[in-house]
Amino acid sequence: MENQETFLPIEKKKLQPNNFLNKQKTRKGQKIFLVCMLAIPIVNWLVFWLYVNLSSILLAFQIDIAGEMQWSLQNFETFWQHLTDKGNQLNISLKNTMLYFLSSALITMPLSLLVSYFLSKKILGYKFFRIVFYLPCIITPIILTSVYSQVLHPDGPLGILFSKINPNYPMNGPLRIHGSIVPTLTIIVYTVLTGIGGDMLIFSGAMSRIPTEVFESAKLDGCGPFREVVTIVVPLILSTISTKVVLLISGIFSASGPIMLLVTGEYQTSTIAFWIYNIVQEEGDYNLVATAGLCFTLVLIPLIILVRAVMDKISDVEY
Amino acid sequence: MVNSIRIKDSGSVLYKRTKGEKVIYAIIFAFFALYTALMVFPFIWLFISSFKSSYNYLEDIDHFRVMALPTKWMFENYAKAFVELEHDGTNLFGMFFNSIWYTAVVVIEGVFFSACTGYSLSKYKFKCKNLIYTVAVVSMTIPVVGTLPASFRLSAALRIYDTPLQPIVTCAGGFGFNFLIMYAFFKNMPWSYAEAVFMDGGNDFIAFFKVMLPMAVGPIVTLSIIASISCWNDYTSIILFMPSYQTVASGLYFVQLTMFEKFPTIYYAALFISMIPVIVVFAIFSEQIMKNMSVGGLKG
Repeated sequence: MENQETFLPIEKKKLQPNNFLNKQKTRKGQKIFLVCMLAIPIVNWLVFWLYVNLSSILLAFQIDIAGEMQWSLQNFETFWQHLTDKGNQLNISLKNTMLYFLSSALITMPLSLLVSYFLSKKILGYKFFRIVFYLPCIITPIILTSVYSQVLHPDGPLGILFSKINPNYPMNGPLRIHGSIVPTLTIIVYTVLTGIGGDMLIFSGAMSRIPTEVFESAKLDGCGPFREVVTIVVPLILSTISTKVVLLISGIFSASGPIMLLVTGEYQTSTIAFWIYNIVQEEGDYNLVATAGLCFTLVLIPLIILVRAVMDKISDVEY
Repeated sequence: MVNSIRIKDSGSVLYKRTKGEKVIYAIIFAFFALYTALMVFPFIWLFISSFKSSYNYLEDIDHFRVMALPTKWMFENYAKAFVELEHDGTNLFGMFFNSIWYTAVVVIEGVFFSACTGYSLSKYKFKCKNLIYTVAVVSMTIPVVGTLPASFRLSAALRIYDTPLQPIVTCAGGFGFNFLIMYAFFKNMPWSYAEAVFMDGGNDFIAFFKVMLPMAVGPIVTLSIIASISCWNDYTSIILFMPSYQTVASGLYFVQLTMFEKFPTIYYAALFISMIPVIVVFAIFSEQIMKNMSVGGLKG
């Protein structure tokens, strides 16, 4: 902060007449510079964030009657009907979204934490494993999903193996069964397997900042690996975990995952994000999407504020 | 620094394991090895299958020997992947071309404008500075859902939908995650470098472009690598906003839907080819990516 003040606070100094013009010129030059630097980003934000959001809110209160837009609350009624109607795409999408969220929070995140811990403890081949765990994060999703679905297909290597073990193995593979939870569970397995790497890097970064002396004294006191994770690592990286939880909740309705690539949202695997995407792609009921978006945002904002407040309270650790 | 010195010290008490711990580490190692097998094995299968003829591939499936080596190695599958597979007139060459320019535009614009906003807001005092900073941070943290229809309509209204202008116009925002990183970087950079430029008669533009920006090459490169990977892999925006400019990530999705049944092994060859650029980038920059990552992105 003090760096900039050595040059900038011009107005408080009494200017000498002979350098007054120079200072005026400098200030004008700065103004031009700042305008050039900030004009495009600000205009972009005004158009693609502010206008888009305001326009989306207005869409939620409009209804198309014979090609004419009229103000109405009917979208909210329709939204509620769809949401509470068992078997409706929106209802299914909400349930699946919750399932994916829970799997991320309760399976992927703890697994990533454990993986990061053992990699940080330099388990045999840790450098190689670190790359293997991270690879799914960088490989183009269509490659991963193509390989995953073909490998599990009854004609694929694992599909053939599973078909031999279980004669009732689905003839189109576990991703293509109507009226069953199996496709959703298969997608969850995929997201867990491919999602460990992203969280792993985040947790590894946090663990690397824990002073080595803490681990050394724990070790001298006879603390085992799992106890070390629970009593030392988790409390010391709680701020990272809390940030991760907040990010997870923020993205709960925006993360569409691999549903489109694996099953194009069929077999009751849709999520809210995919439901929104699909309606826009098929040029469906935009007003209903905007209404759903508004309602979900209104639920998310207080939830995130609450979670952040709670997490901030319990993760206030300094070392 | 202390950590890294200690970790290199193999004699540290941390790496002397008891018998019980050795058992735990052996079990964990077995799990890691199993995971590796699960990840690597499908790609070996993909690689072998990509060299088979369609007949050979289907015959092997019928005889339950999917891991068998090809009876004849069809290297031409890799050449055919570039010409036989296409979607709406765009073949794999076209998809690669679209991926390259799309990634370049999004990454260069995104990182450059973030550097501009980060530098201006961290180093200059002006009237609306705090307001702009607060708005930038708040708009990042509000989880907005369902604005896709409004964005879609706006693109159509601005006549940028399905044109190369779409990424050029929409990605020129200098706020978001990249902004926070660049802001933090420039905030910690001494202002005396710019002062030296002013003493030599240079102006703010020279100070930024010739002195400050080159000094920020570290975070700029790391942000660019991360943004490149995510942009190269992005398929949803392309399918929705630029359907005539299919990239590798989105184009192969349509190829899978329409041509996989006809050319399964050529499709596998295309998958293998499309993996190469990302793997190469990762191989070159893996250390940089791994070391610089922290909560939600980069170390401050």
